[in-house]
Amino acid sequence: MNIDEFMQQLSSSKGVSNISKIRKNTVKLDLTKEESLDFFVSIKSEFEHCSLISAIDNQPDFELVYHFSCMNQSIVVDDSNCAVMLEAHIYLKREAPSVDSIANIWFGADWHEREAFDLMGIYFIGHPDLRRVLLPEGFAGHPLRKDYVYEIHEEEW
Amino acid sequence: MSSKKVRGNPNLRRGVGSKTTDSDKIMEDPPAGDWLALRSDQLLEWIDNSVYNVAEFTGMREVVDRITRPIFNFAQRLSPHPLHFGIMCCAIEMGQASAPDHDIDRLGLVYRSSPRQCDVLIVNGPVCEKLRPKLKTLYEQMPEPKWVIAMGECAISGGPYWDSYSVVAGADTFMPVDVYIPGCPVRPEALMHGFLTLQKKIRAKEPGMFLRR
Amino acid sequence: MAEMWISMGPQHPMTHGLWTLKVKVDGETIVDADPELGYLHRSVEKMGERRKYFMNTTLTDRLCYASSTTWTHCYTHTVEELMEVEVPVRAQYIRTIMLELQRLASHLMWAGAYMPDLGHITGALYFWRDRELFLNLLELPSGSRLLYNFIRIGGVKRDLPNGFEEKTERILKLFEQRLDEYSDLFENSKIFRMRTDDVGKFTAEQAKNFGITGPNLRGCGTKFDLRKHDTYEIYEEIDWDISTREAGPGYSDCFSRYMVRIDEMKESVRIIRDCFKKMPAGATLASRIPVRAHGEAFRRTEDSRGEAMMYVVGDGSDRPYRWKIKSPMFTTMSACPHYLKGYKLADIPAIMGSIDICIGETDK
Repeated sequence: MNIDEFMQQLSSSKGVSNISKIRKNTVKLDLTKEESLDFFVSIKSEFEHCSLISAIDNQPDFELVYHFSCMNQSIVVDDSNCAVMLEAHIYLKREAPSVDSIANIWFGADWHEREAFDLMGIYFIGHPDLRRVLLPEGFAGHPLRKDYVYEIHEEEW
Repeated sequence: MSSKKVRGNPNLRRGVGSKTTDSDKIMEDPPAGDWLALRSDQLLEWIDNSVYNVAEFTGMREVVDRITRPIFNFAQRLSPHPLHFGIMCCAIEMGQASAPDHDIDRLGLVYRSSPRQCDVLIVNGPVCEKLRPKLKTLYEQMPEPKWVIAMGECAISGGPYWDSYSVVAGADTFMPVDVYIPGCPVRPEALMHGFLTLQKKIRAKEPGMFLRR
Repeated sequence: MAEMWISMGPQHPMTHGLWTLKVKVDGETIVDADPELGYLHRSVEKMGERRKYFMNTTLTDRLCYASSTTWTHCYTHTVEELMEVEVPVRAQYIRTIMLELQRLASHLMWAGAYMPDLGHITGALYFWRDRELFLNLLELPSGSRLLYNFIRIGGVKRDLPNGFEEKTERILKLFEQRLDEYSDLFENSKIFRMRTDDVGKFTAEQAKNFGITGPNLRGCGTKFDLRKHDTYEIYEEIDWDISTREAGPGYSDCFSRYMVRIDEMKESVRIIRDCFKKMPAGATLASRIPVRAHGEAFRRTEDSRGEAMMYVVGDGSDRPYRWKIKSPMFTTMSACPHYLKGYKLADIPAIMGSIDICIGETDK
């Protein structure tokens, strides 16, 4: 399947909007929070590798960016052997930053979700073991949020 | 004579920086006069104190110390046993220093994996809040006499991570440090120089070893 | 027999770096495991938001102490995409040479750390000795032994010094002889094979699901390398092949993961030679390097341990608004309960050593 055909196929999925090609091998789309889990289940057969989940504090709201990569060449870019990536954005409200977990679909997403919970305070519903991964238990706050205050003893550069 | 102190406080035998906790107080001496309740460790401590006090007041301790001091010092100085413990970049250079090109083993270094067998702790990287209690435990597990080398900028002051929320500003904020080796990362030659400096320090200090508290 | 938990680390000769592995054992057999990270969490992502774009190369150098150039390259590559900087062709060639030299040094460092895990201290001395050759080589242009800060946004710090090509060729020739020695020493060694054959198996399907990438995935026979499949710099003009190995149909064990790294070293030697042959003259730094950036960029590169990914969001100022680092080891270690299960306690160093752990990049 060519990447353009894949984009057309995506446009019929529920909850998907703003599909665009940001690089020659990367498809970017916005996703609603409610439809995210069904959408992720439907792309599992092409994208067998969950590369990255990054959480961004956009002040006031949060944004989750999922990156998936296709390793089995089921989607191709013209006739090169370039691997296709999918970039999905989900926007979350600051009052209730929660989204469905995909750790049961891709095991590799497990610790990415734990990290997003640890450093940004985003709750993943249905995650098997949601606890801090990098910071010690009992650490107060989520440090990657923009409103996290900590002591710095020298002036800013 | 007045400068010599009679020591019987068990807390003095603990590692540097440790405090008496509540659990220690529960294990206090049995009531006075209750000889049957005297435990073996307390008996040993009583004997220990008696021997120490006799040796101290008769001057025996100093005589023996003066004889054994250079011998023990020679052995300590020329065979430091560092703990095999790597934190970050400097740990790689610590390993590279043992490699054939630099061969730091000719200074008598033997890396041991158990802190009970070591007398030098090399802090070779940034100490994070999560690591600090573990590092302190390692330090307290090492038998006396022991020395600490702060290797690299991170262990000296936090280094490049000076404005981090999780890195402690230097190893000397929570444990005594003997030798500082600057560098980011420290070259193996600098580590060698650090160990030579430590040898000088051990020689100059010459701690007595006989009945040492 | 009663099951019990054993805690290994953070100070343990098995752990390459600082992490704790709690294993549940039934007698000698591993039933469950729980890796614990965070002893080296230095908050690089948060610190990066307070520094200017060009300052962050200091931090990326210290991300992984075994292969600092590849991480700095990943960062600069992402920021160049964000700032739309064109890198001169000669700078791309120099970058490729530095990356491959770093890959060689990193793989040798891994092998040197892996041998004592298997009880082969002499092997460590051999590999550390050869790593010193490449450290000397990397020191020539950059001036530092371990953390180079050589790759800058828009190019490289300076041109290669005089006589670098001859010296590299001399060392590569020596190294190729050494590689033949290693095949006698390790691949044909019965003890080495007994420790590594059929230990720590996982299939390619599992590996993709777990998020295992890089040499560990290529050890399953999967032909996937970002240098070919999402190509960057000048890797598509260079003549080289993806090296794969497999222990059986579609699965890997410790030995195939060892062999794929040895093969990769041979390929790296080939790439460096070809780079020197095709390298043109010209500038080494872009003429126009902006300070501010707006938008978002995502790039992935082939680190020596797997796929290194960075995601940078700029808000128009001279500092990144958000900087996300993805370490390949982070996901690989998260799956360790799956590939440790069923093996003996004494196999843990052999398995965990064979996936090439680097905690500096994992904990960020």
